[in-house]
Amino acid sequence: MGALYAMIGIGLTIVFGVMRIINLAHGEMVMLGMFAAYLGHKSLGIDPYLSLLLWVPVLFLAGVAVYRFLLARVLSGGELNTLLYTAGLSLLVANAALLLFSGDYRTLTLGYAVVPLRPFGIAIPVALAIGFALAVVITTALWLFLGRTDLGRAIRATSQNREAALLMGIDAERVAALSFGLGTALAGAAGVLLAPSLYLYPTVGELVIVKAFVVVVLGGLGSIPGAIAGGLLLGTVESLGAVYVSSTYKDGLGYVLFLLVLLYRPSGIFGVGRS
Amino acid sequence: MRGRGALAAGFIALAAAAAVPLVVRNSFALHLCILVFLWATLGEAWNVLGGFAGQVSFGHAALFGLGAYATAILYLRAELAPWWGIPLGGIAAAVVSIPTGLVAFRLRGPYFSLATLAVAELTKLVALNWEWATNGPTGFLITSLPTLHLFGISVDWEAKAPFYLSALAMMGLAMGTAAALSNSRLGSFLLAIRENEDAAEAVGIDTVRAKVLTLALSGFLAGVSGGFYAFYFRYIDPDAVLNLGISMEMVFIAVVGGLGTVLGPLVGAVFLTVVGEEVRERFGAGHLVFYGLFMMLAIRFLPEGIWGRSRKLLARLSAREARHAAPRG
Repeated sequence: MGALYAMIGIGLTIVFGVMRIINLAHGEMVMLGMFAAYLGHKSLGIDPYLSLLLWVPVLFLAGVAVYRFLLARVLSGGELNTLLYTAGLSLLVANAALLLFSGDYRTLTLGYAVVPLRPFGIAIPVALAIGFALAVVITTALWLFLGRTDLGRAIRATSQNREAALLMGIDAERVAALSFGLGTALAGAAGVLLAPSLYLYPTVGELVIVKAFVVVVLGGLGSIPGAIAGGLLLGTVESLGAVYVSSTYKDGLGYVLFLLVLLYRPSGIFGVGRS
Repeated sequence: MRGRGALAAGFIALAAAAAVPLVVRNSFALHLCILVFLWATLGEAWNVLGGFAGQVSFGHAALFGLGAYATAILYLRAELAPWWGIPLGGIAAAVVSIPTGLVAFRLRGPYFSLATLAVAELTKLVALNWEWATNGPTGFLITSLPTLHLFGISVDWEAKAPFYLSALAMMGLAMGTAAALSNSRLGSFLLAIRENEDAAEAVGIDTVRAKVLTLALSGFLAGVSGGFYAFYFRYIDPDAVLNLGISMEMVFIAVVGGLGTVLGPLVGAVFLTVVGEEVRERFGAGHLVFYGLFMMLAIRFLPEGIWGRSRKLLARLSAREARHAAPRG
């Protein structure tokens, strides 16, 4: 789970870093990825992991469009307005999905993923193992993209200092749109990977978004390595907590951790300075 | 006009509204009015903190639910009548909100909002799992209400009128509180905090104290509404009263009606209830789609809300009239 949490967190943190938007609709993007995988599997028989190749570009474009036509127009209204705006977007998307798909809990079962793997006598569900592996691959690819390509450097530069980036001739608007698309695609891809291991229902985004914030705040808002570390940490705390503390309060542990970090290390464990 | 005039106008409007059940016997119409009053109170509770002080909370359902649970538990376990239990529910929510605020208000802006989200989720988790106190996911069912004799008449709890009047009084209390707050010293502090917190601190305002006081006030109003909810609907469970949706509806009412205005939440509540009933009938559970849509539209095109905008237009109109009436030079 940790690697998937990390992926969702990276999407959120890039968007925050570049645009200073706290995207409350991020969880809904994960939900859309889950449903895309489910529907593709159910009606077209596409393997969910294969469908990544289709959904990632689609969600990327959707993200760019959402930024260009919706978000960019309210950015001037200030931080709280954009926060409320994405809250509205989140309500809209989640409940549109509720109308379309109804509130039933669904599961996506893969024929080859029923029997868990048993290396060293530890049972690991196949779906989670594949999800983890692909999440690692995607995160590494992203890391290389951000570190090695011009566009990736432009994104990092804009998130470090927007004015300086503008002075260096970076088209910050374009970078913002691309980053939002990237964030959406990452969230959606994580959704696709999560689909075989979680229950699918239209309001699953609520659960996801809170976890994503935990991850991002743990690592420091705006920090990508922080999001990776935060994701792994949350995954570990949750599974250990479920065993050693109580499984009913498993989700609660994450929140408590979140509040503690917010209060005592608001820039995160690996924070990149106060923002 | 402002001050005493507005106060008199408010009382006249309340008195007129109180006479409505004498004329209107349609219980569905009264039910809608009750919902409007309840939501207006909740919107006002949120607006006091979110609109006046600029502290956006996504966790007000926790305060609402706390009031509902406290009231229901006091009634079912200690047989404390609702007219004592509801104010106590409000006080419980206010009391809990003080330490929470002292901690959470060390955070600012979006960080505060995120913290409220986490606190609300934690509260819901506790309500779901602390079966001894809260009955867990089953919640509480209030089967009968105590008999009450007022002016020699026994109150009929099956009728809508007693609830209508209580909800109206509750809304009057909320609006009175908001109006008093906006004209008070604390209200000016909040305005300063909303516009520039550092500057407010620099001129010597104890910002944490002002914000915590406001949160307690807001919590009291939300808690009272929760208690009312428990007795009006007679059933509460974590999903009904501690849901993120409830928090979002409060935000919606204040944003659509008019952030930081006294009458805005009433306008927002009318809008929410009327539109909500209409689309609920047509689309069932997905009616929140429209809340999301309207919230986005409002922020994009009407950031001061319906009431905020109309107030501005009215002011401009009356200014123009005044100019026509007394031309200068």
